[in-house]
Amino acid sequence: MTVRGAVSAALASAGILLAGWQAGAQVAEVQAPVAAMSVGATGGAAAGDGTSGTGSTDSGSSESSTAAGGTYTGASVQTRFGSVQVQITVKAGAITDVKALHLTDDDRKSVQISNRAAPLLRSEALAAQSANVQTISGATVTSDAYLTSLQAAIDAAHL
Amino acid sequence: MNSQLMPAPPAHSRSGGPEVRTYPAIPAGPHNFASQHRRRRLRSDALTVTAWSSVAASLALWLADGGARGIDSAASAFTAMGIVAGLAGMDLVLLMLLLAARIPLIDRTIGHDRALEFHGKLGKPSLYLLLAHGLLIAVGYGMAEGLDPVSESVALWVQVPDMWLAFISMALFLAVVITSLVAVRRRFPYEFWYGVHLLTYAAVATSIPHQFSVGAVFAEGTWQRWYWMAICVATGTALLFFRVLQPVLATYRHRLTVSRIQTVAPGVVNIEMSGRQLDRLTGTGGRFFVWRFLAPGLWWHPHPFSLSAEPLAHGLQGEGGLRITVRNLGRGSAQLARLRPGTKVAVEGPYGLFGTAARTRDKVVMIGAGIGITPLRALLESTPFSPGNATVLLRGHSEQELYLSVEILEICRNRGARLFHLTGPRVDGDPHTWLPEEAVRRGHTLAAYAPDISESDVYVCGPAGWARNVVADARTAGVRAEQIHHERFDW
Repeated sequence: MTVRGAVSAALASAGILLAGWQAGAQVAEVQAPVAAMSVGATGGAAAGDGTSGTGSTDSGSSESSTAAGGTYTGASVQTRFGSVQVQITVKAGAITDVKALHLTDDDRKSVQISNRAAPLLRSEALAAQSANVQTISGATVTSDAYLTSLQAAIDAAHL
Repeated sequence: MNSQLMPAPPAHSRSGGPEVRTYPAIPAGPHNFASQHRRRRLRSDALTVTAWSSVAASLALWLADGGARGIDSAASAFTAMGIVAGLAGMDLVLLMLLLAARIPLIDRTIGHDRALEFHGKLGKPSLYLLLAHGLLIAVGYGMAEGLDPVSESVALWVQVPDMWLAFISMALFLAVVITSLVAVRRRFPYEFWYGVHLLTYAAVATSIPHQFSVGAVFAEGTWQRWYWMAICVATGTALLFFRVLQPVLATYRHRLTVSRIQTVAPGVVNIEMSGRQLDRLTGTGGRFFVWRFLAPGLWWHPHPFSLSAEPLAHGLQGEGGLRITVRNLGRGSAQLARLRPGTKVAVEGPYGLFGTAARTRDKVVMIGAGIGITPLRALLESTPFSPGNATVLLRGHSEQELYLSVEILEICRNRGARLFHLTGPRVDGDPHTWLPEEAVRRGHTLAAYAPDISESDVYVCGPAGWARNVVADARTAGVRAEQIHHERFDW
């Protein structure tokens, strides 16, 4: 390898890495709203920005409760594709809504999987009134985490 | 004519008299070997830049996906390192495949030997990167989920689609690299090693699905996915085209058949072949071809040999004959002596840089030993030089071992090259000399035979240890590395 070859190769490689870094900085800025959107889209009526931002709850806890109703937040479950946390709305001892506060969103592939799986899981959970539902094929990790968090929320609601 | 012969006239030919051949006309006019060399060096630098850039690009793919900014815990740091190792490892694997694909651009620039040398050098780094990829990902994912790496690996195998293929791929890569290690290579026959090497294709093929289905960098809709697909497809196409399609086309085009087998010396035979469009194979000098003789028990064995005589093409279709000279080196070569005329021959090539394309200077010195003399004959026949600008040194234990020396003398006379026969035993107990004992005693050195060697291209062909000594002597005499053209002839 000649000096000219080595120097050119080093410069070219450095340039490519720099370009990659720059492109990555832009992606990071764009990606944040995308992740929030995925939560909002599956979350139903109210997109609670503040709620998903805090992520303070690690075990099931109730945020507001009346005798037989209110919203209960499940545990935040860590997966290799990001964390998953759901919130249920209970009225008269029945689950009326399941809202995903956070879904697996480490990368675009996960966001895509989450967006597909969450509505299915929500409707199944509402129909079954429990976390005892089938995982979505191709979204095993997301489903398991979703149902674990859901179970924690149900436990918290003492249903 | 400036033709002289030392120290003795050649022995009479064992083949019953030299064949008188007409030599192909050497293209007239000045050859600018200096500019040819500059262009080749520019190509070589361009290849270096491309190779390094491809590694940088594989990391840039991940950076551009926001990879570095996603690191916020030990788990994600492990995962990130794992992803980077996988990307770089796969890129090196693709480079290795391209180096072994016998792409003419690479072959004409750095030569077949050096391409395979680089190929070999990349073997271990790429395996280490791929192993690191697997381990780091298992640790990183495991930490994120609170699992130990082994349980995480089992979970990946069972739960994530395409991951079981990736595990198989890893096992295959391990098998390939371990069997390629020299120590192991010596213990198994070449065919076994070659067969295991073919598993590389299986290893690469089984690794690809998980890259696209599990690899987040290559998610659907990303430009990274297109780039990665493009380089995978390009590599596969290059392999198919240059290693399969071109040889088949060349075999069909030239329709080579064995026309005569002739014993030159004990254990050494000339294999003459006839075929069509042989003009397309001319002018290759000492570059080698890979021959397969399509006879039962022989067809699957590739034989790398240079031409020992340039093709003589005549007739409208370029019909004519060409010749290789083979010494009984191994089991495969021994069978060649019993080839029957009429046997069809598959041909690939020419490969290597042992030809005019490697020239950097106007003057040329050719040094050959034993069967390594034969490629020099073809080179001597075809490479351009003015009378007086070429020196040929032939080394052998006896005159008998100076194969084709009668023909070479004839060419030297016609073209005005100095010729020396260096025969006799070598110096006992001196591993550094390549000259006969008598020449050493008289104080003859390389520069004494070829005074202008420092401004010549030096072509060396012979057994590995001997050639190393010649190259070392040439370097001492002031020959620069770029002027030395050395062909391995022991594999």
